Amino acid sequence: MKPTGILFFPAFDWAISPTHPEREERLLYTRDQIFEEGIMDLPQIREYKPGLASLKDIARVHFCIPDVEAQITEAHLVSSGSALVMADAVMKGEVKNGFAIIRPPGHHSMTVAHGNRGFCNINNEAIMVEYLRQQYGIKRVAIVDTDVHHGDGTQEIFYHDPEVLFISFHQDGRTLYPGSGFMEEAGGPLAYGTTINIPLLPRTTDSGIHYVLDNLVMPLLEEFKPDIVINSAGQDNHYSDPLANMSFTAQGYARLNETLAPDIAVLEGGYSVESALPYINMGIIMAMAGIDYSNLREPDYNPSRFKESSSNMERIYRIVDTQLQTFRQREEVIEKNRRSPEMFRTSYESIFYDTDYINENQRNELRLCPACGGFRIINSSAQHPSGKQYNVACIQLPIYACENCQDQAREAYKTMQSNPAYNLVYLQDRVRDEYKSIITRSGEERIL
Amino acid sequence: MLIGIDVGGTYTDGVLFSQGVILKSVKKPTEEENLKNSLLQVLDELLADQDAPRIKRIVLSTTLVTNLLATRRGEKTALVLLPGYGLPHDSYDISGETFFLKGAVDFRGREIEKLDEDEIKALLNWIKSSGISRVALASKFANRNNVHEQTLRQMITRECEAVHVSISSEISGKLNFPRRAATAYFTAMTITAWNSFADEIEAALGDRGITAEVQVLKADGGTMSLTASRSKPCETVFSGPAASTMGGSALTRDELNSVVVDVGGTTTDLSLIIAGEPLYASRGAMIDNHLTQVNSFAVRSIPLGGDSLITSEGVQPYREGPAACFGGDKPTVTDAFNIHLDLQLGDVSASQNKLNEIAQQLQADVRELSGRITEQVSQQLFAAVNEMFRQWENEPAYKVWEVINQRKFRLDRVIGIGAAAPAVVPGLARLMQAESFIHRYSPVANALGAAVVRPTLAVILHADTQSKQYNLDPGGISGALDKPRNFQLADAKEIARKHLQKLGTELGLEDYVDDADFFLEEQFNMIRGWDRTGKLFEVGLQISPGFIKEFKGVTI
Repeated sequence: MKPTGILFFPAFDWAISPTHPEREERLLYTRDQIFEEGIMDLPQIREYKPGLASLKDIARVHFCIPDVEAQITEAHLVSSGSALVMADAVMKGEVKNGFAIIRPPGHHSMTVAHGNRGFCNINNEAIMVEYLRQQYGIKRVAIVDTDVHHGDGTQEIFYHDPEVLFISFHQDGRTLYPGSGFMEEAGGPLAYGTTINIPLLPRTTDSGIHYVLDNLVMPLLEEFKPDIVINSAGQDNHYSDPLANMSFTAQGYARLNETLAPDIAVLEGGYSVESALPYINMGIIMAMAGIDYSNLREPDYNPSRFKESSSNMERIYRIVDTQLQTFRQREEVIEKNRRSPEMFRTSYESIFYDTDYINENQRNELRLCPACGGFRIINSSAQHPSGKQYNVACIQLPIYACENCQDQAREAYKTMQSNPAYNLVYLQDRVRDEYKSIITRSGEERIL
Repeated sequence: MLIGIDVGGTYTDGVLFSQGVILKSVKKPTEEENLKNSLLQVLDELLADQDAPRIKRIVLSTTLVTNLLATRRGEKTALVLLPGYGLPHDSYDISGETFFLKGAVDFRGREIEKLDEDEIKALLNWIKSSGISRVALASKFANRNNVHEQTLRQMITRECEAVHVSISSEISGKLNFPRRAATAYFTAMTITAWNSFADEIEAALGDRGITAEVQVLKADGGTMSLTASRSKPCETVFSGPAASTMGGSALTRDELNSVVVDVGGTTTDLSLIIAGEPLYASRGAMIDNHLTQVNSFAVRSIPLGGDSLITSEGVQPYREGPAACFGGDKPTVTDAFNIHLDLQLGDVSASQNKLNEIAQQLQADVRELSGRITEQVSQQLFAAVNEMFRQWENEPAYKVWEVINQRKFRLDRVIGIGAAAPAVVPGLARLMQAESFIHRYSPVANALGAAVVRPTLAVILHADTQSKQYNLDPGGISGALDKPRNFQLADAKEIARKHLQKLGTELGLEDYVDDADFFLEEQFNMIRGWDRTGKLFEVGLQISPGFIKEFKGVTI
C-alpha cells in the first residue's frame, strides 16, 4: 500500500501582522502534536519538503496588478509551491494521496489580485489545478471547499469553467465573511451547475455536515466523475473556532476526509490554534492514511454536547434536494444559454479587499462561444494603498478554448494595447502556456 | 598519551597516540561473545613497554549495546505507555509486554486526563506477580510535564523495591513520544548489562594501574565519562561509524564538504561532513527497526566490502570468507582490486587464479573482469552517496528562509577509511569529480577518532511565560519562571547556559562549556483575541562534536 504524503509548512517566520490570526503561532501546536505523535515516522506516511512556485505558475491563474512580484512574498511562493510538490507526488504515484498543511492560505484570492483579501493573496488550489492541467493533462477536477468561510476566490476563478466542479459548504453568508456563497451562485452561463454552494446555519453539527456529504457531495462526485478530487481543507467549522460559529469536531473532520477520500487536501483557514488545529490536522492525516482514528478527540470533547435540531435538518434536506437538481439540469441550462443571440455576456462586480482596504470594480465579458466554455475579458480598476490608480484589461484564455476563441482573445490583446484607458493589458494564454502583460504607455512587454 | 579503542563487529582496533603521532596500533579479530576480552587484549598490546600511569585518557567504542538489542538479548522489561488521545494503541509496536494506562497532558503541559488508580493497582499487582525487574515508562508530552511519569515511578518503586524504572522525560526532552518510549525501553533493557561491563572495565583498568580518565564514545561523535554512561547505555550504539567519521574529520580538520567512506570486509559505511561538521541523522538512530531519540550521525551502510564475493553475475552483497590473496577459496572485491590496481596484496597469483575461474565462465580475461568489478563497486557507492546528498537536500523545512536558501551539496573530497579504502576511494573520487584523500592513518582512523574526540552535551530549554514554567532536557527538570512578564529570549538562553554549565561541571566538562553554541532559538507570541497572553521559547545549546584541546592534528 502506498503511503500518504504530508507536506508540513508552518511558515514559522511569516505573519500578516504580529497579532493577526495568520501569525507565526498558528501551526505551532499542530507541529507539537504531530511531531509528538511521531506520525511522520509511520510507514503509512511520507514527509515532503516544501518547494517554490514559479512566477509563471502564479500568472497561469492570477492577473497580479501590476505584476506577480508586487502581490506576493516569498512565503506565498513556498505555500503555493508546496501544494505543487504534493500534486507532483500524487501524480507520479509516489503516494496514494497527499495533505499540504501549509500557510499562507489562498481560497479567498480571485482571478485579479490587487491585494490581500480574507488573509489570502494568491489561490493555492487554483494554482495547483492549472498546474495539474498543464503538466499532467488532467481534464476534470472537483474542489470541495470545507472551510467555514465561503471559498469565494476559488468560486470566482472557476465560475466559468465547466470542467471544474466547485462545491463549498460553509456558514451562511448572512452571518459570516465574505457574505457570499448562496445557492443562486451556481456558475456562469456556460458553466452552470458546476458551482454548488451549501450555506449552513450557525451551529450546524457533525450530523448535519455528514448528511450533506453523504447525500449531496458524494453523489455529485459520482456523477461528475472527476479525474482528481481536491479538499480545500479549512478547519474553522470546529466548535472552538474564534472567528466562526459552527459545531464540527475533529472526529467529524476525520470522517469527512475518510468519506470524501480526496487525492489532495490543502489547508485553508482555521484559527482555533490550540483547541482545534492540532487534533483536526491529526484527524485528517490519519483518515487519509487509513489509520484508525477512533482514539482521537479534543481534550474537552463531549459527544452529547452537540445535537442537530430537527428544523436545521429539514433545511439541510431542502438544500440537498435543490442542489442536486441544480447540478442535474446543468447541461440543459448551458445549452439554452449557448443559443442566446448575444456574442458576449457582460456582468459587473465590486470586490472589497478586507485586509488591504481596496475597492475593485470589474466589468466581465464572457464570450458565449458555441463550441467551448468561452474566453473572458475583465476590465478592472482599483486604487492601491500606495495611492496609485490602476485600470487594467485582463484577457483570459482557458486551456480548453476552441480555435475561434483563441484567435479572438489574441487579437483582443493586440488591439487593446493601444487603448490609453488601460495602464496595463494582460493575456493569460493557457493554451500556449504563455502569460503576457504590456505597459500601454511604454509598450514594454513581459512574457512568463 | 591517549588511547582509543574501537571494538567493531569484525575487528577491534586500538591506537596509542601522542603529539600528532600514532605510536602504536593494534588490530585483532573481535570475539563476539566476549567483547571485554577483545578490548583488554588490544589494550594490553598497546600498553606493552609503556608506563601505564602516563596514559592520560582512554576512549572506548563498543558494539555491546548494539549487539544486545540486535540479538534481542536485552533484559526482560515491561513497557508502560500513557499515550492519551491520538494514534490507536496498536501503532505502538515497541514491545510485546506493553501496558496502556489512562492519564494525559497536552502540548502546553496541562493535565487533560487523570491517572486511574484502579489501573495502577492492577499494574502493580502484575509487576509483583511477574517477577519482572525492569519497567520503562513513557507518557505523551512528558517533555512538557512529567508529573504522570514521576508519580507512577514513585508508586512502582514504593511497592516493588527491586524494580528499576526508566522514564522517558529523563532520557530526552525532544518531541516524539514513540521514539522517547523506545529509547526508555531500550535503556531499561540494557542498563544492567552495560553496568556490569563498566564494572569489569573499571576493575581491569585498576588491575593494570591505569588512573586515566575513561570515556565512552557516543553515536553523536562525542564522548561521555564511563560513569555518566551508566545511566545512558543507548547513547553508545553506532559509536563505531561515529569513530570512523570523527577519524576522517581528525585527519583533515578543515571546512570542506566530504564524504567519509569506511570500507570494511562485508560492508562500507558512508557518512557526510558538511562544511567541516558531520551530518546528523535527522530522525535519530534506528535501533531494532525503531527510531529513537539517540542523536547519531547519518550513516548509510552498504552491503559491499573488500570481502564481498565475486561470481559470474558480478559482485554479491555478502561475504563467504577472506579474499583469495589472503587464503580464501573464492575471489572477492579485494582480489579484483589487487589485479586491477596492482596492489601487490598477499598472494597475487591466488587472486589471479580464482578470478580466472570466473573470467573463463564469462569468456573474458582477468584484467578485463577486474576492471569491470572495480567499476561496478565505484558505481554502486557513487549511487549511494548521491542518494545521501539528495536526502540531505530534501530534508523538510519549516521556515520561509530555509526554503528560499535551498540546500545544494557540492562535494569537495572523498575521505577513505579502513584497510581496503586505497583500493576503492580514488576511483570513487574520480567518478564524483572530487579530491581523493587517503592518509597513512586511514586503516586505524576509527580508533584515532575515538582517541581524540571531545565530550558532547546538549541542553534544550522549553519555557512558557503563560504557565510560568520551564522544562530542561536532559534530566526532565522543570521549574518556575521568576519574572514571566518580562521574560525574553536572552533570559531563556541564560537559563539554558546555566544548566549546561552546571551539568558540564558535574560531568567533568569544564574545559568545554565555553565552546557551547546555540543550535535552536525559537520564540512565539501567544495571541488570544488580539492580545498577547504570553510567549513560548525553545532554545538549545550544545557542545558539538570536536576534538580535545591537546589534539592539534596529525603530523603528515
